Amino acid sequence: MRRIIIRRLLQIIPLILGVIVLNFMLIHLAPGSLFDVMTSEQQVTDPAMLDQLRHTYGVDQPTSVQLAKYIWSVMRLDLGFSYRQNAPVLDVILEQLPSTVILMLSATGIALLVGITAGVLASVKVNTIWDNLISLGAVFFFAAPSFWLGIMMTVLFAVKLGWFPVGGMRTIGSDQGTFGDALDVMHHLVLPATALGLFYAATYARVMRASMLEVFRLDFVRTARAKGLSRSRVVISHVMRNALLPIVTLLGLQLGTILGGSVVIEAVFSWPGIGSLLFDSVMSRNFPMVLGVLVLGSLLVAVSNAAVDLIYLRLDPRIRAR
Amino acid sequence: MSRFSRRDFLLTTAGVVLASRLGSSAALAATPKRGGTLIGTWGGFEPQSLFVPAGGGSSPYFTSTKVVERLLRLTVDLKFEPVLALSVTPAPDFRSYTIKLRDKVTWHDGKPFSADDVVFNAMEYWKPISAGVSLVTLEAAEAVDPLTVVLKFKAPVPEFFLKSVLSGKAGLVIPKHIYAGSNIITNPINNTPIGTGPFKVKEWVRGSHVEYARNESYWNPGLPYLDKLVIRWWRDPASRSAAFEAGQLDIGTFNPIPYPEIARLTAGGKFIAETKGYANSAWIATVEFNQRREIFKKREVRQALMMAIDREFISETIFFGRAKPSVGVVHNSNSIFFTKDVQAYPFDVKKAASMLDAAGYPVKGGSRFKLSLVSAGWFEENVKMGQYVKQAFEDLDITVDLAVPDRATSLKRIYTDYDYDVAISNNTGGVELVPTTTQYYTTDGIVKGAAFRNATGYSNPELDKIVASMTVETDEPKRIALAKEFDRLATSEAPILPMVDLEPVTIVRSDVRDHSKTADFMGESWAELWLDR
Repeated sequence: MRRIIIRRLLQIIPLILGVIVLNFMLIHLAPGSLFDVMTSEQQVTDPAMLDQLRHTYGVDQPTSVQLAKYIWSVMRLDLGFSYRQNAPVLDVILEQLPSTVILMLSATGIALLVGITAGVLASVKVNTIWDNLISLGAVFFFAAPSFWLGIMMTVLFAVKLGWFPVGGMRTIGSDQGTFGDALDVMHHLVLPATALGLFYAATYARVMRASMLEVFRLDFVRTARAKGLSRSRVVISHVMRNALLPIVTLLGLQLGTILGGSVVIEAVFSWPGIGSLLFDSVMSRNFPMVLGVLVLGSLLVAVSNAAVDLIYLRLDPRIRAR
Repeated sequence: MSRFSRRDFLLTTAGVVLASRLGSSAALAATPKRGGTLIGTWGGFEPQSLFVPAGGGSSPYFTSTKVVERLLRLTVDLKFEPVLALSVTPAPDFRSYTIKLRDKVTWHDGKPFSADDVVFNAMEYWKPISAGVSLVTLEAAEAVDPLTVVLKFKAPVPEFFLKSVLSGKAGLVIPKHIYAGSNIITNPINNTPIGTGPFKVKEWVRGSHVEYARNESYWNPGLPYLDKLVIRWWRDPASRSAAFEAGQLDIGTFNPIPYPEIARLTAGGKFIAETKGYANSAWIATVEFNQRREIFKKREVRQALMMAIDREFISETIFFGRAKPSVGVVHNSNSIFFTKDVQAYPFDVKKAASMLDAAGYPVKGGSRFKLSLVSAGWFEENVKMGQYVKQAFEDLDITVDLAVPDRATSLKRIYTDYDYDVAISNNTGGVELVPTTTQYYTTDGIVKGAAFRNATGYSNPELDKIVASMTVETDEPKRIALAKEFDRLATSEAPILPMVDLEPVTIVRSDVRDHSKTADFMGESWAELWLDR
């Protein structure tokens, strides 16, 4: 087990290096630069000032030198300085990363809870009205764009019914103590996490249903029933456990896309995460910030995937045996 | 003699009583109330830093001006009012100006504000960083006493011009004791700025909001009226609209919600759509011709293309009536320099076609010529304008290759690489035309890599001479006449075709009072805003 963990962690190093080089090249290949954006915002017209800013932002150096310098600084755990934010990249990201992690984890939790429950229910009640309704719901939430779903949920639950706030992460200026503040964040979290999670819930429901139906047909299920185990025990302890394996695989694969999806949801709900930061940084060609977010995002996804692999080992003894 | 009947008596009495009641309620309504929290937003993104000394666009300007003040401000009827300066008086030769400062003003950290701060700002901040070419003739700044500063110039400086600089985006006053000896642009304090303004930064949660608390030591006793000001960010305009409806936003500047939503949101009377307060940051949507292309060196071609575009259509369909067809190169809200006495370009496709024929570009093989049209992607409306202009030019049998790149690419293609034939862009300028408006047309506005300047490469010594005269003409009526001459020449030459004058909207709850009273409301301190609740 320890060897597997070490191997998985070592695999992260070339991954991060690849992320840096690839994205550095992509950003520099894209037309326009941070320098263009910042000087336009600052309406700089003095040629001497333009030269001074080129030097300050480090864009007067060849791309290869900029890349080498960046890799060297990352190796020293320094993600650089963002002149646009006038702050160290790591400081800005760490300020906003926890919000995104909370959103991602909550959305994943909702997706798993809703998806697995719906999938199990659809498979147990296969070819009934329940199955049809769940399948219809799954298709709907799979097809609905998350920004549209977010806006519709806002209109219904925040504007019309007034149950939830329209946006933000907490009530500004409120100090309700640790527990009260936690409840406040959860209250703000319901709509964005649900809007983000329902798409993945739809996927999990479809996969879970198919997986459950497949396992239902296997011999050991029939044997378990013949031994006199109750239907619910067979479903929960035998069928579900085996049917969960594809869900775990999907979960690992989709962590990256949930991070991507949070960009849209954060914009709709004014959620103060790194999604908006990444979007702004791409649009302004703020490469130190883009690379910083991608490096930390990749790290997050890689570590999560490693954790998923460990869960996989726990769920499927056959892998451990190999 | 007419008879005064009982009916007349009753009506008169009722009228007097009603008038007195209305008068008293109006007086009551006009009495500001202290307290409350105002939550505002704007139609753009979160600032990259709360204060960007070199400019940084509208967003940091919005957040910093609640904290950092100027010497003067420009009211909505375009009169200068004192802020940190009590007076700004020119010498008879207009080569020096004496600035009398307000007494007993302190910075947010308690240090006194004095003439030394203004001298530092003039020589170390305004001239080299924020004002750029506007203060190129500034020679020296001297503190005569703790509350008097004299600015000395190499050449005469018009009074309206200098006061515009001091009341504009470039004239923010920053504390010497914080910035002296540091790199002003990268000083970490810019993320939690210190000023003399009515509000102090309490907390900035990146991606969410900035919270300001009342400055209890503000130089104007009784102000600000608000206890707290919060500026929140919503990237999505539809979400902002929902936030207004849910009571989570009180005010939003510069088109915070989609145009079609304005009528619906303001229908019930709970919200108002206010268009005042944007004269000093006026936007015009433009079509710009790259003079480096042989075709567009011909004035007749530029004029013909101007006549091929239906600006009423752009105004009504693309901007939902929230823009006016441009008359000349000066925005119609500029009541000082605007003139209607310029060449008109009525929409007339047939005449445009005959003008192109006469200019030597008849239809050959189904097309007159081919051009690349770059529509700058920083405003959604530019995208739609690009599609419309493409169709309008195609109606003249011109082959159009339309590109709508994102902001960074648009900036590079238009202002650095000059990689376009025709560009759809935007001009922005203050009430004072020099240099913000004039630099789109003058030869000294051609600076490779400098955005929102003369990207077309148009150069006309006659126009340059008029603008040069404007920069030193101290007689205001003569200066206004020069400005109108500039407008007439620029409009008839048409290197840039002004399409529509944008009319930005502030959406505000009807119980928010005393807003939109200056020519640049978004960049105002908001000390006088109060809640009638």
